[in-house]
Amino acid sequence: MSTVNLPLAERKRLKKKKLTKHHLANILTHWFNAFSWGFLLATGLAILGNRVYQTVPAQWSAFLRNLFGGLAPLIKWHESWGMFWAFVITFNVLVGFRKYFMPFGARRMMLDQDDLEWFKQYGRKLAGLSYQLPEQDDYNAGQKAFSYVVILGIITIIATGLIMTFSPQVMRATGGMQWLIQWAMPIHFTAVGLVVAGLVVHIYMGAIFPEERSAFFSMFSGKVDALYAYSHHHKWYKRYIRAEQEWEAGELAKDIEMGVGTAVSDAELDELAD
Amino acid sequence: MIDYNKNPNLVTRRNFLKMAGLTAAGVAAGRVGLISGVQPVLAQSNGHLPGPMADAYVPGMCEMCVWRCGLFAKVKNGRIVKLDGHPESDHSLGKLCARGQSGFQNTYDPDRVLYPLIRVGERGGGRFRRASWDEALDLVAEKMQGIKDQYGPEAMIFSSTHNLSQVQFENLLNGFGSPNYGTQRSLCFNAMVTAFLLTYGVEEPARNYKFAEYIILTGRNLMEAISTSETYHLSDAIARGAKLVVLDPRFTKTAAKADEWIPIKPGTDLAFHLALINVISTERLGDCDFVEQFTVGCQDLPTVTAEYTPEWAEKITGVPADTIRRIAREFASHGHRSMAHPGWRTSNFVNSFQTERAIATLNALVGNVLNQEEGCLITDTAGEGAGLGKPPQPAYPRVSALRLDGVPWKYPLVPLKLGVFQDMRDAILTGDPYQAHGWFISRQNPAQSLPDRGKTIEAFKKLDFIVTVDIIMNDTAWFSDVALPEASYLERYDPLNVVGDKIWLRQPAIEPLGEAKSALWIYKQLGERLGLGDYFQYADEEDYIRQQLAPLGLSFDELKQRGYVEIPHGPELRPAEFNPTFNTPSGKIEVYSETLANAGFSGYPTWEAPPEPGPSEFYLLTGKVAQHTQMGTQNNPYLHQVFNNTGLWINPEAAKERGIHNGDMVRVTSSVGSVEIDAYVTEAIRPDCVYLTPGFGHMSKGLRQAYNQGVSDSDLHVSFTDPISGGQALSQTFVTIEKA
Amino acid sequence: MADVKRYGYVIDSARCIDCRACLVACRAEWQVPEGQTRIWVNSSGLKGTFPNLSQQFVPFQCQHCRDAPCLDACPTGATYRREDGLVMIDEEACIGCGLCVKACPYDARFYNEEKGVAEKCNGCYTRIDRGELPACVATCVGGARLFGDFNDPDSVVNKALKGRAAHRLINEIDTQPNVYYLEPIEEDNQSWPEAKEMTPAETFWRKLATPGTKLAIGAMVLGQASAFAKQLVSGENEFEE
Repeated sequence: MSTVNLPLAERKRLKKKKLTKHHLANILTHWFNAFSWGFLLATGLAILGNRVYQTVPAQWSAFLRNLFGGLAPLIKWHESWGMFWAFVITFNVLVGFRKYFMPFGARRMMLDQDDLEWFKQYGRKLAGLSYQLPEQDDYNAGQKAFSYVVILGIITIIATGLIMTFSPQVMRATGGMQWLIQWAMPIHFTAVGLVVAGLVVHIYMGAIFPEERSAFFSMFSGKVDALYAYSHHHKWYKRYIRAEQEWEAGELAKDIEMGVGTAVSDAELDELAD
Repeated sequence: MIDYNKNPNLVTRRNFLKMAGLTAAGVAAGRVGLISGVQPVLAQSNGHLPGPMADAYVPGMCEMCVWRCGLFAKVKNGRIVKLDGHPESDHSLGKLCARGQSGFQNTYDPDRVLYPLIRVGERGGGRFRRASWDEALDLVAEKMQGIKDQYGPEAMIFSSTHNLSQVQFENLLNGFGSPNYGTQRSLCFNAMVTAFLLTYGVEEPARNYKFAEYIILTGRNLMEAISTSETYHLSDAIARGAKLVVLDPRFTKTAAKADEWIPIKPGTDLAFHLALINVISTERLGDCDFVEQFTVGCQDLPTVTAEYTPEWAEKITGVPADTIRRIAREFASHGHRSMAHPGWRTSNFVNSFQTERAIATLNALVGNVLNQEEGCLITDTAGEGAGLGKPPQPAYPRVSALRLDGVPWKYPLVPLKLGVFQDMRDAILTGDPYQAHGWFISRQNPAQSLPDRGKTIEAFKKLDFIVTVDIIMNDTAWFSDVALPEASYLERYDPLNVVGDKIWLRQPAIEPLGEAKSALWIYKQLGERLGLGDYFQYADEEDYIRQQLAPLGLSFDELKQRGYVEIPHGPELRPAEFNPTFNTPSGKIEVYSETLANAGFSGYPTWEAPPEPGPSEFYLLTGKVAQHTQMGTQNNPYLHQVFNNTGLWINPEAAKERGIHNGDMVRVTSSVGSVEIDAYVTEAIRPDCVYLTPGFGHMSKGLRQAYNQGVSDSDLHVSFTDPISGGQALSQTFVTIEKA
Repeated sequence: MADVKRYGYVIDSARCIDCRACLVACRAEWQVPEGQTRIWVNSSGLKGTFPNLSQQFVPFQCQHCRDAPCLDACPTGATYRREDGLVMIDEEACIGCGLCVKACPYDARFYNEEKGVAEKCNGCYTRIDRGELPACVATCVGGARLFGDFNDPDSVVNKALKGRAAHRLINEIDTQPNVYYLEPIEEDNQSWPEAKEMTPAETFWRKLATPGTKLAIGAMVLGQASAFAKQLVSGENEFEE
């Protein structure tokens, strides 16, 4: 929702008003995830030391191998951190599967009509054409689409990573199906590559693209300014404000019951939310 | 209680062809798309790669056969991880053969007997109980003493196979007062040793390959019956260009290295050699000066071998007369650089003694012992014994009883120390000239080594008491009443061994596993319990060796550290000049032996026709493979891995006649037994022969790797004894083959 | 510079007696699992018919090739080459994918199930690094196996090759092996190299995964770069108050 039509004073007010978008756990998970990706990508690329498969200069391999004291420790670190990372995110998902992940999935991953429109309009935007982005929830369609890549990618990466880490056990359990390990390597590589391709946009959007600057800082503070929310995640913004007001109304009602205030009508609430 | 019938993982028949798949190269089409350019050299790994670095290198001596190669045992965390040849050892030259390399697997064999065992239930039933050494030794001593008291000491048989502590074994039996001493010798080299003793006055002349230019091996399969240094020296001689002629009915690995392989008809080597003698002596191609000076009887050879012409030999041997004549001339032309190898196991036919006499004569004709430096045979045995000391020994009791094996009352020329083992076994069965009642068997496996296994097992049944000493539950221990666990050669001391100008030590690289003990300890303990303590005047193994070293003033510590010490060169030990006198009645090489003539045998090497198989029968040949030693190594997992052909060798022609294909089960039947085994159809054997690798077909369920794998040729072998040397004639067994 | 070694083997098959002491020594030195082996004595079998027979025994092992296909097949570099030319496997780093096993034209490698790694002859580097010969060479009873430094003119291998024709197991596949034979090897011997097909996984990786992933990331980077460029040009006007 464009903010151009809002009065300047209102825009300033919104800019100053902070809405909580991320909880601390979310923030920590994000940065743990970010660090893990950086670490695993850096070590993973260094592990691929063979001239046929290496995608970064050989010096990178040499540097990291020396840093970790050889190829074997480098691989051990990659495997260990990979398993730790896999454990943390799997644990997060499992612990909150019904409480958070299901609603999260329902709201943040189901594409609606607006999302499809968003893709169309965003394409126009990138192409430099006139566009009108539809209202977006707390995760826009691009973020939703990326979440698919990320979730599928992560599942693939974890599965193939485990196959490689536990290759002797896999061999024994499967009676020598070595093709599992042989395929795990390029699939692991490809899955990482696709997620990284998405990450390029994610990082650009999050860290460089000015419109999303508020989102970038939110990954530290947990808060976005209302103006950003108003313009980029209008649906969410509306719901957030409504919830805020409902809470306030609830508090007011309590006050009234205790005889310290007056009731607000539903119409008033709607008005406030807009 | 140990019930070997319930041995876990006991396999009834293992797949011997497991390794075959390893050598089959994968088939693939197309080419790997290689990216050209320089290979990346990546940073080396930081010592993470494994590999047995040793905590200690303990010198010692191999005992996987009787060649006694010096070795180093690499010990890591108290465990032997690798054996290497001792570079200073003249027998190993720093090398160990397949068996030597695998030796520590015998020590760590999960089937080792580690505690004294006393039989429970019936003999041969495989049930034993663990006993303390005291209990076991007391029982053995009680039984032996009982037999001695009741039937006389001669009722107790003692037998043992070629080993360093044999001297104390002999001490035990001599102290005990039994004349009945069984060794493996009559099954092996009686013919060779007796012939060379009678001809040269030495048991076994050493072979010198350094200057050899022409070598005839008569059934001596040196590339498979490996004596490390000798095999290496032969290989060296061939590489240098020496000509090798191999007489063998089988295309052995040695034949594969020969310039000329002569697949001679079994038993006719004698005719071949007599014809060589005929040619060389009649054409006067030999070393006449030498012959005149140092031999007796050579001048008569043209006359006594007159009928043994190459043409005569051709009819018998199947070898063309021209070939024989050519080989005779070639052999003679190289003079003392020619060698007719004396052979080793020569228990083939009852005429093997005459074959050995002919071989001894051939060597005499070219004078190859004349020059100590360049001659091919070394008969100078000065320095033997090296002046080592030994613990004091009182005189042995006088023995008046006859020997059960007929030496010398039946076999006057068989040396006492060789004996006639197969006849001793037969005497247990016949009770003639008297009944034996007990058998003390140390490091020997007559259940497998003696011909006609059925008879041997019958003999076991006739005895009141059998005690065995071994490191594993071998087939004979299986039938024993008490099995005493010996320490393996990597866990114990043995008396010293003299090789050339060095004294070698066998010493423990690790503590014995379980309660295993050295033979020196076991014999002494038993001796003391039998009231023979005076014959065992050593406190322990180290004390024994100290007493041996004492007269030479050599340091035990240095010996332990290096594994050997040089013998101080005394003038009496090393003659400055070669003095060609021979330890025979005449002091010369006796091509004509009066000893033989006086005993009623031919004084000259002479033709004796060997028996021949019937029209549908085959010669049953036995032999050696480089991966096993007789019947003692089949349970070794490393050797099991590198030898996988236990089948019956049969020529395609003979196989075709019987409709036999490679891998088919065939029934092999001799006059004493019958076995079923898969056929190995190969061009590498004469059509009138079949061959079985010996040492397989174990009966003991205490050998999980070896039990019931392949068959034992001892089930088929018929007992024959050469009246002169006492040697068994193993190839004189004829068999029929039919599809099973 | 003069210290740079080039290790290799010279094998005199005429002296090989097929006793397999080398196989046992190797098994003992490296605890090679049952049913597998790092070195072989290969033969093309018995030639001819009785009594005109011959048989050649060819001691065989990893050829320590200069252009080793296994090096390219190993994604991680767990297979690597020492400065002295020995082709090695870092067992700690090997993840046991088995691509090298399939890539070796000599079938000199196998998969060790116990350890879950590829295995092959490593020149007994632990032995040679402390001045011993490789286990198979040290114990070779026939004297067929020799090992040494080809950069040292006085080495036993150079002396053995002197004045002799050297043969290598090379056909249309030439990976520059560092094992020289003093005798011509029979054509039907099992030791000759055979071309190996790339596994489907490798083909996918090389032909599709690597270029595809690079393309995807490249496209995204390019897209974002153009957006960034546009942003620089048009300024952050939308947000300006």
